[in-house]
Amino acid sequence: MIWASFRLQRVQLLTLLGVLVVGGGALVLLRSSMVGAITSARLTECVERGGTACASVDQNAFLDDWSNLFQVARILIIVLPILIGVFVGAPLFAQELEHGTHVLAFTQSVSRTRWMLSKLVVALVPALVVVAVLQYLVWWWLTAAGTLGPRINGAWHPVNFGIDHVSPVAYTLFAFAVGAFVGVVARRTLVAMTAAFGVFVVARFALDGQVNRFVTPERRVAADGLTVDMRDGALSVGRGWLDAAGLEVPWDRAVSVSDACRTTSSAATQGQEEFLACMRESGLENRYSLVLPESSTWIAHLYDAAIFGGFAVLLLAGTVWALRRQS
Amino acid sequence: MIPLSASAVGKQYRSRWAVRDCTFALPEGKVIALVGPNGAGKSTLLRMAAGLVRPTAGELRVFGTPVRGGTHPDVSFLAQDRPLYGHLTVREMVRVAAGMNDRWSAERVQEVLGLQAGVDQDAKIRTLSAGTRTQVAIALALGRLPRLLLLDEPLADLDPLARDETLRIIMAEVADRGTTVVMSSHLLADLREVCDHLLLVDDGRVQVDGDIEEVLARHRILVGPAADESAVEGTLVSATRTQRQATLLLKDSGPAPQGWSDAEPDLESLVMGYLRASRARTSAPRR
Repeated sequence: MIWASFRLQRVQLLTLLGVLVVGGGALVLLRSSMVGAITSARLTECVERGGTACASVDQNAFLDDWSNLFQVARILIIVLPILIGVFVGAPLFAQELEHGTHVLAFTQSVSRTRWMLSKLVVALVPALVVVAVLQYLVWWWLTAAGTLGPRINGAWHPVNFGIDHVSPVAYTLFAFAVGAFVGVVARRTLVAMTAAFGVFVVARFALDGQVNRFVTPERRVAADGLTVDMRDGALSVGRGWLDAAGLEVPWDRAVSVSDACRTTSSAATQGQEEFLACMRESGLENRYSLVLPESSTWIAHLYDAAIFGGFAVLLLAGTVWALRRQS
Repeated sequence: MIPLSASAVGKQYRSRWAVRDCTFALPEGKVIALVGPNGAGKSTLLRMAAGLVRPTAGELRVFGTPVRGGTHPDVSFLAQDRPLYGHLTVREMVRVAAGMNDRWSAERVQEVLGLQAGVDQDAKIRTLSAGTRTQVAIALALGRLPRLLLLDEPLADLDPLARDETLRIIMAEVADRGTTVVMSSHLLADLREVCDHLLLVDDGRVQVDGDIEEVLARHRILVGPAADESAVEGTLVSATRTQRQATLLLKDSGPAPQGWSDAEPDLESLVMGYLRASRARTSAPRR
């Protein structure tokens, strides 16, 4: 049965292997070549966040050379789940049902459940492994680039978030499950492929950023009273003013006071300091922001994986159920 | 042991009954012809016996075991469209089928594939002719060493030579292993040579069930003047009448009256008679 599943899945498995070897090899080579470029351009300190003298001609030259490649690698990890859903998940059962070959399997001594589990495992596990390996290599490469690369936008940036941690594997599982489920219900490969694509894209956009609400925000107070330092990659999810006691001022009051101060200091000669002084006269001491620190992205990733993985498990259970009552 | 029996089996698709109130018990070691027009429920009946389709009502039993959501280990089923993986070679296809079975005879498969001209085992399935595909599908079915072989239209799409070869493979199986075979077909002339038992289905119901010789012996075809049918005794199955002459298919008839010729029907005219009768019933306004 295992041999049979491998043989029937051969085209997809060989393609996945090709993607793994070519993609993996390219990523390793690109990384080592990039590390060389960083060293020879003496940009090593700019990789760490907070490097000071990094806005240089050398850095611009480096970005000209590499930023497109970074984009390609990120797009690869974003798109891979869709491709696996469309070309591995969707045809898995739909093709059998469309050509009637499931009848052959259903009239042999192997049980329907074992037949589908064996097919699922042989199709799904290699796909997940390929996604995990390529995603790890991209992460490894982008980490070496540090703030010279896309990491400058922080781990909460939607694209950075989508290619990090367990999220890509969960997306792959979900796209695969959508394809497999629709394939069993619709019994048409083309319908299943279209649905895998459509449902995945819609779900990804609809749920994008939704998991952030599961992370408890921290309050960060502006050191100079006005500007909150966000350069460490944190994500701002709210802001406002604190009074002298350190309590949050209601938003409408803060707005009216700030409007009033803006009109009185409309001469704009004194600028920020005068404005802040005016605010403090009315008891509004400091600006603050509610931020999600970069270090807690993993919590959001776990919720993300739980949501997409949960839907995937439901869909796979539905697939098994629909196939068992298939005739 | 009764290889296949049905008690009040029915299958409903949406509002339509494909099979309705079918009750029969088939004899062991015989070749049973399952006959009926298109859409009579032959395929549904076979698919239910193979455990592919669940009956809406009633129960089927294979060698005494109720059929529930799976194929009985002693049953092999040849589906009408010969499901095979077109992109595999014959050799790979055989290996896939072997992997899906606990009991498997590679020798039996090779034996059947080697029959007649022999099948090129390195050819892709999709390049094979319809006859060869059927031969491969039958080889896979026989590899399971079945005691009951269910064949859905095994002769459809075959040229006369391939038809003859296919029948010979089936007959050899019956002779060698005493397998019970149920085969559905439209080709009554071919069935007559190989079948012992007749199961005639129409409109989802069993119309005739019995040993072919006995069934034929119980029926007569009477041809006589259309004007006077009063003297004819027996149960009238169906009749075709022209201006001058009437042809009647009768069951348990008495002696032919004066002026009537009397003959035993062949399988084809018997089946035709029954189908004509049920057609007339269907087209007649229902009360």
